[in-house]
Amino acid sequence: MRRPAKTCPVCESGARVLDYKDDRTLSRFLTERGKILPSRLSGMCARHQRQLATAIKRARQLALLPYIKGHTA
Amino acid sequence: MNRRYETVYMFDSALEEPAITEKLNRFHALLTKDGKGTLTNVSHWGKRTLAFKIKKKDTAYYVVAEFSAEGELLPEYERAVKLDEGVLRYMCVEAAREQPKPVVATAVAPEEEELEEEEA
Repeated sequence: MRRPAKTCPVCESGARVLDYKDDRTLSRFLTERGKILPSRLSGMCARHQRQLATAIKRARQLALLPYIKGHTA
Repeated sequence: MNRRYETVYMFDSALEEPAITEKLNRFHALLTKDGKGTLTNVSHWGKRTLAFKIKKKDTAYYVVAEFSAEGELLPEYERAVKLDEGVLRYMCVEAAREQPKPVVATAVAPEEEELEEEEA
């Protein structure tokens, strides 16, 4: 039996590149602790999953996204 | 060869806006000198809450600048930005280019759709 193919949410939205400055969109692809969702769960195609990882890491450097959610120093 | 870059600056939110513009002008003068680079767009995001503290501060004033310049100008420019005490953090990266949409040959497109339907 073949599972129905998951579609990549970025391809579907028509966008070709993920922007690291768009923290609202990126935060959809984080776990509740702020980890990057694996493509198994995000459903992304390989190209966009790679872009997502880079974008999230850049957004973290700019303090747009947390490294760990719910962590207070 | 000119490349397109973009820099995100995070200024200390204690700075007044004229002071920030003055600093920006100083940085960008390094990029545009001798006509080797051009500034395409500067957008001020204003004050934003940080996801975590940086240098014991909770907010920063964000500015995004897009420019195209020769790579050899960057080290001097980045050194100036790093030395500035008013900049909490900055990031300069090559701007993402919007990839061209794949051109679908009109004659081929309907056939492809049919194929997908058969598979489903």
